[in-house]
Amino acid sequence: MTDSSFSSLDAKVVLASSSDESHPPENIVDGNINTFWMSTGMFPQEFIIRFPEPTTISALTVDSYNVKKLKIEKNISQSASQFESVTEKEFESTEGHLQTNAISLNPGSATHLRFIITSGYDHFVSVHKVSIKK
Amino acid sequence: MKLRAKCLLVGDAAVGKSSLICSDGTLKNYSMTTGVELVVKCINIPETPHSVEFYIFDSAGKEALVDACEKLWGEPSLFCLVFDLTNEQSFVNCGRWLERIRRHCRGFRVPGVLLGNKSDLSGRREVQASVAKEWAQSQGLEYHETSAKEMDSSDAPLLSLARAYYSLYQEDCVAAKNLTLG
Repeated sequence: MTDSSFSSLDAKVVLASSSDESHPPENIVDGNINTFWMSTGMFPQEFIIRFPEPTTISALTVDSYNVKKLKIEKNISQSASQFESVTEKEFESTEGHLQTNAISLNPGSATHLRFIITSGYDHFVSVHKVSIKK
Repeated sequence: MKLRAKCLLVGDAAVGKSSLICSDGTLKNYSMTTGVELVVKCINIPETPHSVEFYIFDSAGKEALVDACEKLWGEPSLFCLVFDLTNEQSFVNCGRWLERIRRHCRGFRVPGVLLGNKSDLSGRREVQASVAKEWAQSQGLEYHETSAKEMDSSDAPLLSLARAYYSLYQEDCVAAKNLTLG
């Protein structure tokens, strides 16, 4: 699914629970689905995205592979702490192609989004792209 | 890069599971593990800059405690199934242990090794290497013999698991690179 109203993020990944230099977390926000962040084993796995300023988000899309359960949290603080729960999703397994999931959110402002992958369809999962709709 | 793996360590009581992973060699006095003990051990993969950090769940072997411990197993990435080379019954029971492990594997490929322990007690051996090896192969497991007394052999099983896990990781990276749009 491509929707021009979803834009690439002017954002940074400020924390990730796994780091393989060949597949670093920056790949999640580079707007390119061909590059990805790879988890390096065990669950849960998480990453936190920071926006330069409070940003209103009505929906987001996640392109991933082998992700089963995903929890999303947010905050409107300057520090990456004190998150509130936003939503929990279970993605379907896809064989050989990307999982592309659009997730609508209750409109609201956020400075950080935290993605917690609590289970997967394989030992290792990849996240290729996160984009948002304002 | 460091991979992380949850590794179950199971087998009958008193086969020497805890001795295999304790840091200073042989435990002097036997003390039964009555729950699940967590030991973290890091294994470097030779000729690569990579390593695997094992979160080893050393789980009680005593039958009466197994059900309670199994609840803590969760979803393993790897496993070590241990028996005592001087106790044939502990080898016979490996089939049951394997069934228990497989119930937790959700269809994932979970590499495992079969370990015949106490190989230093050759005079009391009840299980022949060829028999154990054949059974291991039929179950898709690698077979190793170890003696907690001779520490040099005790990293070999973890090293083979580390290699197997690393190759699963590489396969998954290749799969992620070759995905098509959904």
